[in-house]
Amino acid sequence: MSLIIDVQQVTKQYGDKTVLNKVEFSLEKGAPVALVGPNGAGKTTLFSLLCGYIQPSSGNISILGHVPGNSALFGRLSALPQDAQLDPRFTIAMQLNFYARLQGMSNKFAKKDTARVLDMVALSDVVNSLPSELSHGMRKRATIAQALLGSPEIVMLDEATAGLDPANAKEIRAIVSEHASEVNFILSSHDLSELERLCDQVLYLDNGQLKQHKTLGNNDSAGFLTLRMKQHYSEIMPAILQIPGVSQVSMTQDKEYLLTISNEQGKLAIEMDLLTVLASNNWSYAQLINGKTLENQLF
Amino acid sequence: MKISWSRIWCLVAFEVLRLFTTKRGLLALSAFATIWFIILYYFVGSASAMVISPSFESMASQLFGALGLTALLDWPVAEYAIYWLVALYFFPSFALLVCSDQFCSDKHRGTLRFITLRTTRAELILGRYLGQLLIIAILILLTSIATAILASVRDVTLLSASLQIGAKLSLELLIVVMPFIALMSLLNSFVNSARLAIVAATLFFALGPLVLAFIQYQFGQVFYLNWLFPGEQISSILSQSSMATSQYLLPLIQTALLLITSHLLMKRASL
Repeated sequence: MSLIIDVQQVTKQYGDKTVLNKVEFSLEKGAPVALVGPNGAGKTTLFSLLCGYIQPSSGNISILGHVPGNSALFGRLSALPQDAQLDPRFTIAMQLNFYARLQGMSNKFAKKDTARVLDMVALSDVVNSLPSELSHGMRKRATIAQALLGSPEIVMLDEATAGLDPANAKEIRAIVSEHASEVNFILSSHDLSELERLCDQVLYLDNGQLKQHKTLGNNDSAGFLTLRMKQHYSEIMPAILQIPGVSQVSMTQDKEYLLTISNEQGKLAIEMDLLTVLASNNWSYAQLINGKTLENQLF
Repeated sequence: MKISWSRIWCLVAFEVLRLFTTKRGLLALSAFATIWFIILYYFVGSASAMVISPSFESMASQLFGALGLTALLDWPVAEYAIYWLVALYFFPSFALLVCSDQFCSDKHRGTLRFITLRTTRAELILGRYLGQLLIIAILILLTSIATAILASVRDVTLLSASLQIGAKLSLELLIVVMPFIALMSLLNSFVNSARLAIVAATLFFALGPLVLAFIQYQFGQVFYLNWLFPGEQISSILSQSSMATSQYLLPLIQTALLLITSHLLMKRASL
């Protein structure tokens, strides 16, 4: 496995305010990585540092062996920065074509690649439109398209699906999972279920500090089952506790229960018993998750 | 620092595209064409007729003499004497307006975040600067050609002399304009809009001499700080009486210094 990002003791301060405090992690080539944390935790600052938009107050960052902003990263690292907008005076195609040319493509190839990425985000019909003529969601998709130009090795998407309708958000998630084998995606989002579906690793930032760096699907949540019900049933918790092997049941949020399993080897039998209990009581369930949800792992 | 000329050329070409394909660029072009039609038709065309007319000759000599511009009257193509007088003040002011948005609005909007993932900040500054310089060069050349045509219409034998003097003046004008565009590049690195850049440039030229006068008064010494101001040499080159190389070195040095300062500011700026 090769190291793609190495962040060493990075601190970012604005005056007296410390936005990132001695953040340290390294990422290897592989499945998408999620960057999560509450508002103001420093996610966008970390993205900006990795892209070279801002300089760290102290510490070192290495991306594919180079400092952020180094010309060796052009075309290899791309990003969707939060709140960045395209130039309102040029058509989408002209701007993407310009970016592709800057990445070193010939005019002919740049046009072809622009058409390809716009097709990926379902914007082929509006290539000659100005950004101001498009809806917010369409503009967002156009900026996602610029991040896909060429063949980047790392793509950082800051809140890529925020503001998109469910169909388009699904489309973006499909693009990420489709290209996850050849591109290293780093995603930030407030939609934890989205990140859970797409990512293997999670970086959890809180108050400028990296609180957790974990790999999803590891043994941390092996002794748990998460059950989501369609309705609220008052007798469900005692009924589940009767199932052999379930040592504890807690309600994590409305209609969601976390089952602690005492015997991991007998998990399959417990799952079958659980479904039997639900069926015999005519209780409709929405989802049965093997382990804890990302939300329950983090908070 | 490694510079990619292919990326710089991309930036330059996009700037030219900005002038000829965007609404704002085309509006600026139409305003420029209208102003220069008036200048050429009413001033250059008719004033040159006055300069060469025997009845006005003594008056013209007195007027140009009072301004220290008698050398201009010796030019074979009188149209260029008027053209030079107007263009020498018009193009620097025009450059301040037209080149006021080299990257400040892109920085404010976040568009630079897309661009700086594909080009270095030094290339961006240089590319945008050269793009603006190319645009101004094209416009200078167009007005110079128009003046040559005007002179040739009056006397077709003047065509060759017109083209020669036109080419020389175009190059000199371009050198004069260079630090003005570089000044706007520097101002762009710390303001967020073209409007603010113009306001900052106006304050620089309006308050700058007052500050210099105050410093001189306070310390009783000349610090040659006026050399910091683009266009400082304009009054010296206006008469065209001599071709001092130093008068063209100053704008080139100013340009280099302004662009280096702009780069140093942008190098660590947050985007």
